[in-house]
Amino acid sequence: MATRVNPKLIDDLEQYGAEDVSKCYHCGNCSAACPFSQGSRIFPRKSMRHLQLGLEKRLEGDLEPWLCYYCGECSDECPREAEPGETMMSLRRWLTSRYDFTGISRLFYRSWKAELAAVLLVALLTAIGFLLLGFLGGDIRIYDGPGAFLPSHVVHWFDWAMAGVLVILLSINCVRMWWFTLGREGRESGTHVPLREYIARAYLLPFHFITQARYSRCERKRPWLVHLVLMLSYLTMLVLIMFFLESMQSGPEIDWRVHAFGYAAAVGLVATTAYAMWGRAKRAEAQYRHSHESDWIFLILLFVVAGTGVLQHILHRADLEVAANIAYVVHLMGVVPMLVLEVPFSKWAHLAYRPLAMYFAELQLRAVPSRAPAETARPAATS
Amino acid sequence: MNVAVYLCQENPDAGGGVNLDSVAKYAANLTEVTQVRSLGVRPKLLPESLAVEIGQQSFDRLVIAGDTPGYFKPAFTRAMLLAGRDPGEVRLASFRQHGAISLDETERAKAIVACAVSGVPFWLAAVPKFTTVHADTLVIGGGVAGMQAALEIADAGKHVYLVERTGTIGGHMAMFDKTFPTLDCAACILTPKMVAVAQHEMIDLLTLSEVEAVAGVPGDYRVTIRRQPRRVDQDACVTCGDCAAACPVTVPSEFDCGIASRTSIYMPFPQAVPNTYLVDEASCRYVLSEGTKCGVCARKCPKECIDLDEVVERAEVEVGSIVLATGYDVYDAALIERYGYGVYPNVLTALEFERLTNASGPTGGRIVTQTLQHDKRAKADVWVFDPAGEAPRSVAIVHCVGSRDHNHNSYCSRVCCMYSLKFAHLVKEKLPDAECYEFYIDMRAFGKGYEEFAERIKQEGTFVVRGRSAKVTGADGRLLVRGEDILSETLLEFPVDMVLLAVGLVPAHGSDLLATLLGVDSDSDGWFSELDYNGDPTDTERGGVFVAGACQGPKDIPDTVAQASAAAAGVLKSIASGRGYGSLSGLVLSDIEARARELAGKGV
Repeated sequence: MATRVNPKLIDDLEQYGAEDVSKCYHCGNCSAACPFSQGSRIFPRKSMRHLQLGLEKRLEGDLEPWLCYYCGECSDECPREAEPGETMMSLRRWLTSRYDFTGISRLFYRSWKAELAAVLLVALLTAIGFLLLGFLGGDIRIYDGPGAFLPSHVVHWFDWAMAGVLVILLSINCVRMWWFTLGREGRESGTHVPLREYIARAYLLPFHFITQARYSRCERKRPWLVHLVLMLSYLTMLVLIMFFLESMQSGPEIDWRVHAFGYAAAVGLVATTAYAMWGRAKRAEAQYRHSHESDWIFLILLFVVAGTGVLQHILHRADLEVAANIAYVVHLMGVVPMLVLEVPFSKWAHLAYRPLAMYFAELQLRAVPSRAPAETARPAATS
Repeated sequence: MNVAVYLCQENPDAGGGVNLDSVAKYAANLTEVTQVRSLGVRPKLLPESLAVEIGQQSFDRLVIAGDTPGYFKPAFTRAMLLAGRDPGEVRLASFRQHGAISLDETERAKAIVACAVSGVPFWLAAVPKFTTVHADTLVIGGGVAGMQAALEIADAGKHVYLVERTGTIGGHMAMFDKTFPTLDCAACILTPKMVAVAQHEMIDLLTLSEVEAVAGVPGDYRVTIRRQPRRVDQDACVTCGDCAAACPVTVPSEFDCGIASRTSIYMPFPQAVPNTYLVDEASCRYVLSEGTKCGVCARKCPKECIDLDEVVERAEVEVGSIVLATGYDVYDAALIERYGYGVYPNVLTALEFERLTNASGPTGGRIVTQTLQHDKRAKADVWVFDPAGEAPRSVAIVHCVGSRDHNHNSYCSRVCCMYSLKFAHLVKEKLPDAECYEFYIDMRAFGKGYEEFAERIKQEGTFVVRGRSAKVTGADGRLLVRGEDILSETLLEFPVDMVLLAVGLVPAHGSDLLATLLGVDSDSDGWFSELDYNGDPTDTERGGVFVAGACQGPKDIPDTVAQASAAAAGVLKSIASGRGYGSLSGLVLSDIEARARELAGKGV
């Protein structure tokens, strides 16, 4: 089958952050330096090659970018300063935009102004919505209990509705990811993965999601640790909010378990996002050396959300109920765009794609030849 | 004449030393110039709007000045055409071409602009004054380049001083086993030349000597040479070797690249020229103790020709021309940690392998891996090359070590591909059962017979892998080489017994000092700059100073010898005509400007 090439692919990728792909002269240093490059999965040089050739479809079906954790070994050792590590990062952004069926992700990655405008717009709508809700049904001087400005059961209901929408959006993108990497690739190579393998390997999804075991295999352990703390803090907070919001928001008697987990997660979130922002500002580590605008928007959002979450809690404890309610609204103005925009369309989406990629990568190894009914149905090749 | 000057830079990093504002001000003050515009780095040029500007101000001539102005010429030529003016009157003032990238950059740049404004080629206006030339020549460096140049000049009947830093001439080539692509014995070519140098009545050979000061003008230099004491009478010594046998000190041998040792009083190698012993003052017990200890060699010498108290002498010579032939050093492989050089005993640099495989080397030419032996004197186990050691079953050769790499040297060292292929041949020749792998990025087999040589090596069964290997680690007493085979897109990781690092070339240590002493430019990598890359490859900015061989840039033996002969031709031309060129850098701006005006007036 003829292969379509996109000669402008490298130029396109520049908007996603990659700048030096064309410098690569294919010495293979990066692939050999990469601790994850093994067996049939050799990267990042192969991706550099595919980019130079403009093999858009091949790249779409590649899982390699998700298997890279940007330890920066490749970029450090690159004799051409072609920044293979940053190229893999850019490819992850590009793939996110490819998996996304709405095209919003593409818009965000290519124009930070659009992303920022969308974030501000959603924040504004959130503010209007919750202020209306508050003033119509409650009293700004009451934080919780009867007549509360933002009653926790309403916020809780809203959370679940939002989660439902997000799961649907992200699921569609995940199915597209499956199609690009397993479905379409399999059809073209005449292989398929048996259903029992899908089931047998399904444990990989939660395993990689929770432990990030692969990340820990990088030579430098700190990025993995920071990332793990961030992820676990976030996950803890998510569970608390989705299942225990009522008991968290009320007070002063909070179940000590909720309390302990909540504080630990808050500290984890604030500390790790602050660390990441400091690292990016100082370009302190390999993975922080290059920052795309989307990285900053994401980090700042997360920091604002974590900070205002802590703030409203303190204000409420200090009996400053009006201030607490205002902080709550600001908190929601951060939470909603972060979840609605970042999860399906931007950097946050990797929470689904990373574990999926490792699951799919394992499945690809277990693909078996299809019986290929198409071969027999088609007339003999004309060549 | 109504002239406009446009300043445009092509490379933001180039010509960092040129003060463009100063050049612009200077150009604006020239009588012909009515407009100067600085367009910055890689400006977007619209011929249409330029044409309007040209039409309005009715310029007769445009001068594009910058590091590489030719890059922008098409837009200006088109603009002149559109404006209905003569497109031939677009003149280039190229800073790079005319050397405004080094000494006196800004002044040179102004002179280049002045010539372009007058419409006179720079090389016509900037002609240094002739000087009379002293008939003697100084050649610095006794490698194959210096020897070749000295012999050419001396054979023409002119007197040469050949200054060599070490105790023997011969340079790196004397260390080599075979030459590529002909596989000739290097010593068989070199030693007759070495002997010829030693015996030539027109050559004064000064070993253990370094240039300390240079005074005078082109054509008449006075050079002070510092002569380290040899401490052995060169004429009396009969090389019986009794002194070395008695010497209690052993140190690594420079000639054997440290893979064998020598005594403190030593002869670098049996064919050394001058063929006498010398004392290494850095390790001699007598010298280090200032005459209070040892001195056994002097007592044992049957000819009584050792004088351990000899002191530094200085010689002053008067010469008309100087040939720089200082050669190169190899890149320090230990700087690239991932190859494990200095960590694993069987990771060798190219030069070490040359000595190992050389029949005059420590193993008599047997290719063996290092074995651990007990050194009684040091009371420790040390790795040594023992002729009875084990031959490697597999050898990996890694190309481009320290070359073509922005983290080390970004240039190509030119010789490594070919000598690596030669190594593969030598391994296969001496150890037919051994496996040999070449890891390369691009195979640069550019010379006559080189490509055929590369093909031949592939036929001999060497595995030639496209992809530079990235890592060498130790595993079970062997070495694990990891690299990507680009062509088959597979990751290779396999054990070998020996790894050879094809280290690149760097300018010889002390080159920078010499460049300062002589007033010669060197480029950002430290190689001496020739006057013109294409036209004057052996001349330098300093009149009467020539470059030959690898000190001007990495070079193989044939090119080195050819350039040395060319440099000798330049020297002989000056001597025969009795006049040489002064330094271009000695010219003042006003002289060049005046001469350009004068030539323009004559209608040149």
